[in-house]
Amino acid sequence: MTDNNVMKGSAGTGLLVLSLLVMVAGFGYAAMNMAAHGHAAFNTDANVAWGQPISTYLYFALASSGLGLLAAVPLVFKVKEYYPVAKRCIFLAFIILISGMAVLAMELGHTFRMIWALPFGMQVQSAMFWMGVLYALDLLFLLWKFQRMEGRDWDSKTTLQIGIASFLGVLLASGNLALIFGMMSMRPFWFDPSLPIYFYLTGIASGMAALVFYTYLAYGFDRGKMPAALRQLMEGGLPKLFVTLLGITFLFIMVRMITGLYANAPEINLVWSDYILASPVYHISLWGGILLPFLLLLSPTLRVQPAVQVACAVLVFGGLFAERYFFVVGGQVIPLFKGTWAWDISQYAPSATEWSLTFMGAAMIFVLYVLGEKMFNLSDSPADTPSGASQPAGAKATA
Amino acid sequence: MAKWGMVIDLDKCTGCQACTTACSMENNTLPGENWQDVLYYHEGEYPSAQMKWLPRPCMQCEEPSCVHVCPTRATYKDDEAGGIVFIDWNKCIGCKYCMIACPYGVRFYADEQPLVEPDLKAAFPGEDGQLWSPPYQGPQEDWSRGIGIQPKGVVSKCTFCHHKVSQAPAGTPDLDEDDPDLKEYVPACVRTCPPKARYFGDLDNPESNVNKLIGNKRGVRLKDETGNRPQVYYLGAGANIPAFQRRQRS
Ligand code: SF4
Ligand code: SF4
Repeated sequence: MTDNNVMKGSAGTGLLVLSLLVMVAGFGYAAMNMAAHGHAAFNTDANVAWGQPISTYLYFALASSGLGLLAAVPLVFKVKEYYPVAKRCIFLAFIILISGMAVLAMELGHTFRMIWALPFGMQVQSAMFWMGVLYALDLLFLLWKFQRMEGRDWDSKTTLQIGIASFLGVLLASGNLALIFGMMSMRPFWFDPSLPIYFYLTGIASGMAALVFYTYLAYGFDRGKMPAALRQLMEGGLPKLFVTLLGITFLFIMVRMITGLYANAPEINLVWSDYILASPVYHISLWGGILLPFLLLLSPTLRVQPAVQVACAVLVFGGLFAERYFFVVGGQVIPLFKGTWAWDISQYAPSATEWSLTFMGAAMIFVLYVLGEKMFNLSDSPADTPSGASQPAGAKATA
Repeated sequence: MAKWGMVIDLDKCTGCQACTTACSMENNTLPGENWQDVLYYHEGEYPSAQMKWLPRPCMQCEEPSCVHVCPTRATYKDDEAGGIVFIDWNKCIGCKYCMIACPYGVRFYADEQPLVEPDLKAAFPGEDGQLWSPPYQGPQEDWSRGIGIQPKGVVSKCTFCHHKVSQAPAGTPDLDEDDPDLKEYVPACVRTCPPKARYFGDLDNPESNVNKLIGNKRGVRLKDETGNRPQVYYLGAGANIPAFQRRQRS
């Protein structure tokens, strides 16, 4: 089979080795420090109990959910133009979620205990219980759907049903993840019934960035090597959807920021004014990682250029990673009922161990990604001729 | 079954921290990981500046948000044990969601950087699954109720000295440290309080002293707007918490 996918060749192998090294090093460093110092290797404390490993997990889980929702565009809503990215979306959603879970597993006090304590406890009142159930279902559906695509079954009734079930699973899983924070009335910075919508939208933006980046990566950042239908999508509908998502994301962040700054309650107001907006990192991430790519992609001439698309995807990676971090930590920095023992906004910065877990997770995505590109044809779509050869540009994808 | 409640009279409390010390001795908590603490608040400015303080155990809430969020039922409210909220250390997975959800900040992971130097976890390394193993240890241990020295990777908190109060004769309305027959069953913080600012008794017993104090001296619960409905009541002036304010250290 002729294939222009560079991940199948030596470039892919090189990336595989490199990311494997980073992953093992990240894991090794964290495991060593945690074996020696326990969770004292983290900089979390009684005030900021959830630090960067949790925000990394959240970032990955939501990117995964975003990809799952994007996959529904062709698979559930039958927008056939998007078929060429469907399989890669599903695959990326799966591996990014797995990597997020790996980071979470390193954060918990007793990961393996969870395997029996969650099902035996059946604590249906806890959103965290449902997170376990729903993300497990999500993984299962993603796997099932992927297996159908491997069998080149794109349109049977069962496939559609699995697609719909998976779509609902993703909506429930990420919506519930939002409620883990959004239902905490004692944490006013998070308490917000519309939080699932914020998570959906920012999650799809995150997923879109991942899709753009990894699709280009598969073809050595050369759009000319992509199959025709995929190329057409990357030149046409997809960047438009990308810019729309970034616009909505920016709008949503602004609404949260303005509401927060206007509110008198210090648990909301001070978080914005004296913590989030006082951080240069946040400013760089927001203006450079969300607004700048939005403005770049707004231009019809720029948004079709591969270099601009890839650059925007990378910027959005950074922008939304910071957004998750400041969201998670921001909800905890105003000390809760500590008197003058905690006389100022809590200081938290991730330790080297916490950073190494973030790198471990990111590297794990690359490892699994290259393996996936090598083992499967992730650009497969119903429009492809069996040989996988490119169709002439302009050919309409048909189901 | 009793429903244990605590009453703390802020007009009597001197903020001496004897309760905090007694608690950490009784329960072998690490320095700084204070199941019972006294919180100090500065409010206002000269010439009307005030300093207030509030002893703070776990409130053993009637609607405990920590229990609602715990994914494994490791945290549970035991109505058979007077409504005390326990943590089963055999079930806790260390997700720390309860620490997020408790409005009163009374939960401790302890498997973290030391709050007070020197690090006693390094001085007395943990044995047999304990997070640290000090030479003196309380004789009681019950991991299913979070009593004893906590293991790694779990959350701990005040147990209302269940290992003591559960030994009291059934039907006792109040556990008063001045009664020689009862003093061994009184929670450590209550028993040690020099000005007798703390009272412990059965909120379900109409005859109990704690009920009379709450009724006659206008007992209030802190942060009542959270809906957690503590089983700990405060008497006297100053039973409220000023909003958080930034303070620059000069
Ligand atoms: S004070 Fe906190 S830990 Fe104690 S019962 Fe209430 S919510 Fe739970
Ligand atoms: S840390 Fe333990 S007690 Fe707290 S919510 Fe998680 S499992 Fe429950």
